[in-house]
Amino acid sequence: MFSVLLGIPLIGAVVCGVNTKRRILEVATIATGVIALATSLWIARTVSEQSTLTSPKGLLFVDALSAFVIIIVAGSFLATALYSPEYLGRQVQLGTVSQKQLRLYYGLLNIFLFTMLFVLVSNNLGFLWIGTESTTLATAFLVAFYEKESSLEAAWKYVIICSVGIALALFGVILTYFASSSVVGSSANALHWTVLMSVAKKLDPSVLRIAFIFVLVGFGTKAGLAPMHTWKPDAYGEAPAPVSGLMAAGLVNVALYSILRFYILVHKALGDAYASDLLLALSLFSMVLAVPFMLVQKDFKRLLSYSSVEHVGIITFAIGLATPLAYVGALLHMLNNSIAKLLLFFSTGSMRGVYNTKIIRRVSGAMHVMPVTATVFILAVFAVTGWPPFGLFVSELTILSAGFGSGNIWMSVFFIGVITTIFLGFFYYASGMVWGEPYRKQEPAESDTMTQLLLVALLLLLLILGVAMPSGVSDFIQKAAKVIEG
Amino acid sequence: MTFLDIPTGAQFIDIFAAAILVTAFLIVSSKSLVFYVRLFALQSLLLGGVAMLVVFAYGETHILIAAVLTIILKAIVIPIVLWRIIDRIKIRKEVELSINVTVSLLICGAMVIFADSIAEPIRNSKQVLNPIAGRVFPVSIAIMLIGLFIMMSRKKAVTQIVGLLTMENGLFLSGLSITYGMPLIVEIGVFFDILVAALILGVFVFRINRTFDSIDVADLRRLRH
Repeated sequence: MFSVLLGIPLIGAVVCGVNTKRRILEVATIATGVIALATSLWIARTVSEQSTLTSPKGLLFVDALSAFVIIIVAGSFLATALYSPEYLGRQVQLGTVSQKQLRLYYGLLNIFLFTMLFVLVSNNLGFLWIGTESTTLATAFLVAFYEKESSLEAAWKYVIICSVGIALALFGVILTYFASSSVVGSSANALHWTVLMSVAKKLDPSVLRIAFIFVLVGFGTKAGLAPMHTWKPDAYGEAPAPVSGLMAAGLVNVALYSILRFYILVHKALGDAYASDLLLALSLFSMVLAVPFMLVQKDFKRLLSYSSVEHVGIITFAIGLATPLAYVGALLHMLNNSIAKLLLFFSTGSMRGVYNTKIIRRVSGAMHVMPVTATVFILAVFAVTGWPPFGLFVSELTILSAGFGSGNIWMSVFFIGVITTIFLGFFYYASGMVWGEPYRKQEPAESDTMTQLLLVALLLLLLILGVAMPSGVSDFIQKAAKVIEG
Repeated sequence: MTFLDIPTGAQFIDIFAAAILVTAFLIVSSKSLVFYVRLFALQSLLLGGVAMLVVFAYGETHILIAAVLTIILKAIVIPIVLWRIIDRIKIRKEVELSINVTVSLLICGAMVIFADSIAEPIRNSKQVLNPIAGRVFPVSIAIMLIGLFIMMSRKKAVTQIVGLLTMENGLFLSGLSITYGMPLIVEIGVFFDILVAALILGVFVFRINRTFDSIDVADLRRLRH
């Protein structure tokens, strides 16, 4: 099972590496996505029957929590693979993207999937670190894809800031190893998560406290928690829209997953509110910082990046509340936010393809030009700002009731204030893009049928998660939340 | 297999660690890109030396491969790559400072004292410490902090790469001092990542040079808000 999950993206990367035909590249990547998603569902099924799945040598390991994130990542990858042909197709026709660049794009996309899955199935926390750093390296050239001044600048900042962040996380991993090697002896086992959990109570708490700060800052940089988020608007803004979508829907959750693993360990070892208080502090900062930047934004991709900062803040907030209900809310929000981010980046990506700009004011009257895409976009804006009947309404309500239930009254009120303000700003900009007077005469240019179907399907998924959550999904999320409880 | 007795080994490790700290300070005080790269190579060589001493004095053979990799990759391969970059793109060879050398050195001196206080909880930890940890661990934190400082206060792209690599040297030293290094399989993965990161950044330097006609990171300021 592990070999299929990790092997498929590598095979996909090799196939993309030796081909330049556009069709083959597209089909190979979509096939990778389909098989990866099918495998992840299969793994989830197995895990829900026997709770954990470990490879013979114990290096790889999956439980309900990792299986849940694997499904999100594989699903987001499939959606990205389905959307890329339309987005890049327009640019190939315009001649801005060459065949060679296409090969690089699809090859790196597959490697990117591999690195994310590698993080999620690693039992060894050292491997988890290696995988996370590899995600930065795999996406570096995807961010710099257009080779313009601005995209090179974004990619440079992205690699430098994330590498520094992740170096700090490595220090946290070294300290964790220090704490555990004195209990279980110096061997690779001392970094195995399963081993660490079994000796959690014996680990030196003062060392773990320091380790957690470094891990949180490090992986928090990858997740884009403020104040370490500064690479995010640049990288998301400059990367091709499908890549931004996959980073906001997949990579963010992978980084949050890494934080969660350490959180579970430290929470269990210390038995106090130390770890959750740190998470709460960072999450409030992320939420409050996103607000002004979203209200004055001129560029819609950067607007979406700050929305990503905000939602990472919301998920971290939920984890920091540290109650079983809040954990369920956090996981649910991971799933919902991913789908919403894919919808937003894809629909605005198509608009960018038509209008050839990222400036909000220059995109106007999209409803006349591309009615389906524009409708999906405006509904996705309602969804991402927490309106019923979409999934994010349910998850934010869950988090909110967990917040009030656990007595964090002022923080919860603050949370309501943030999401209301952000809705007003977001809706103001989006309504102009969709309904405003056309900036200049624009011929109708709707996306191709496959892209329309993809967008509608993702929106339906978000609707189903909002109004009629299948019992299978909610049961599985309950199981994953149990893992976080330790 | 111990070729050295432990007290002698520990003494050598102390000397090497101190020398690494000196190279970090010399990097901060240097104004020439060429010196940056040479000093970094020397620093990595000394770090490889510390790892070798851990192998031969303490019999921690699993670190041998990491020690050899440090010397080959960080003291030879990466410096040559950086050297080529500096040579090929004909950049002005002086480092541009946003904080002058005197103030920089004072700040780094303060960082050493700060590092010592960060290391305090580890030194006081109930766990059994390696004989070298008490002295070398604070030094490793100081080197990490100085690496971070180089990245923030020096504007050339190459200096940022050297800063990042210095930080990672500090990390490796901290691992050596408190745990005799991470498990081998993890260490190799970390090395691979660092090498790829340095190469990718090197490629970016070329491209930035092509599009901006300079590798001054201060020119990278188009993206705001």
